[in-house]
Amino acid sequence: MSEELRVSPIETRGAPGKRRFAMVVDTRRCIGCMACQVACKAEFDTPLGVNRTWVPYKVVGKYPNVKKQFLPRLCNHCDDPPCVRNCPVEATYKVEDGGFVLQRYERCIGCRSCMAACPYNARFMLPSHRTYTPITNVVDKCTFCFHRVTQNLVPACVQTCIGRSRVFGDLNDPASEVSYLVANNATQVLRPEEGTKPHVFYIGADRNQTEFGRDAYRKPEVMELERSAFKRHFNI
Amino acid sequence: MGDYVWFHDVSWHATYAIYFFVIGLCAGLSFLSYGSWRTDALRPLREKAAYGSFALLVVGGLLLIGDLSQPLRFLYVLNPAYLNFSSPLAWGALNIVAFGIASVLYLLALRQGNEARGKLLATVAALLALGLPIYTGYDLTVHQSRPVWNTPVMPVLFVALAVASGSAVGAILAGANAAAQKLLREYLLWSTGAVGVILISILGTTNYGGSAQELTFMIMTTGTMGLIFVGIGIVAGTAAPIALLLAPFGRQQAGVVLAGVLVLAGGAALRYALLMAPQQLQTLY
Repeated sequence: MSEELRVSPIETRGAPGKRRFAMVVDTRRCIGCMACQVACKAEFDTPLGVNRTWVPYKVVGKYPNVKKQFLPRLCNHCDDPPCVRNCPVEATYKVEDGGFVLQRYERCIGCRSCMAACPYNARFMLPSHRTYTPITNVVDKCTFCFHRVTQNLVPACVQTCIGRSRVFGDLNDPASEVSYLVANNATQVLRPEEGTKPHVFYIGADRNQTEFGRDAYRKPEVMELERSAFKRHFNI
Repeated sequence: MGDYVWFHDVSWHATYAIYFFVIGLCAGLSFLSYGSWRTDALRPLREKAAYGSFALLVVGGLLLIGDLSQPLRFLYVLNPAYLNFSSPLAWGALNIVAFGIASVLYLLALRQGNEARGKLLATVAALLALGLPIYTGYDLTVHQSRPVWNTPVMPVLFVALAVASGSAVGAILAGANAAAQKLLREYLLWSTGAVGVILISILGTTNYGGSAQELTFMIMTTGTMGLIFVGIGIVAGTAAPIALLLAPFGRQQAGVVLAGVLVLAGGAALRYALLMAPQQLQTLY
């Protein structure tokens, strides 16, 4: 992207001398094994009921031409993140070199303003009790595995992805695999109309999943039953 | 069928809606106390409104702090090294503190019977009180990804709701004071009318929007949320009081008080529905 196209000083995509990490998710290669979800849970001891990455699926088509369509989800590490703008105490911030959107746990007051601002539901509140980790009652999110990437490793979900559906790299480096994939494939981002400039790019994502689901048209009672069952599942 | 939907939680729960209601009342009563310096009819309400406003500020502040998952860190929002001025919450916190200080000084001036200082501090407190509904509305408006919240008229709606709620409490406090009741009837009528016009505008534009707006409109107008928003908020809490105040009965004390009670119930329902309903759809994304 040329300098002229950048509209906000916070954006680092195309900024010379800076890295801008991004993830490409090729949904055609995703088999829905949920290994990414498990690897992420193991990496961060993410508690039950919340996830830094999750893989919802939808059965699309009509019998006999049906298939499961997966859409792996995570924080989009936006170039212009609304969560950063909304945090009253700068507990969430963007790392200039790399574009990571991170959280300062010791500063978070738990007002959930960032959660309300995020169009992708990427943020969640940590529970008050955890077995092995003392970080509780603050907002948490995917970090693009900042601790791994700074050690020249890829994020845990990318490392474990058996179908090589997830690819990670520096978008500002024209020789990187993500640059190649973004340049040579039709890619989509989630909710581009929000102007957040997300940096998780999808190849072959189904619009049944990238847009607001028609689930909301179903009877509220049915939705409520499913929601209760979902919540009960984690109530252990 | 067979779909795997991840149900997310709403960001802000009902406590926040109660806070919106309380802080709106607090601002409305501060306006009334200021009005008592401008209009003799409101003079009997001066002290009651000032003390009521301060008490509600304390309740609202406790609600706001209690709603944080790290309540003891509430002082961070007053730390200049931490403050992020692009967040409406930061401005809101400063506004609340400034209003609290102005209210205390105003109450002290009232106790001392210092008229000149009292009038000045009433003006300062009322101006800061105006910031309370503006910031709460702006708090929602900045979330541009949420239908209904993302309208620029939200702060205006919250100001109108604050005036309506304050006038309603004033009407109840005024008792048999005919002059005050007459003036408060006017305030109630015009502020509730403004709320109605803004609600029509919000509902109209929401219904004409994209799929997110369309689905949110459905959530707000059907089922339990529809009962709260349309039934209590619009019909019982906005249209009915306007009709009542325009009727001959609405010119009597009992009519104004009844309209005030309806406006209070409607104001609480509207704030709850406006906060919670636009979050429902997002939980499915």
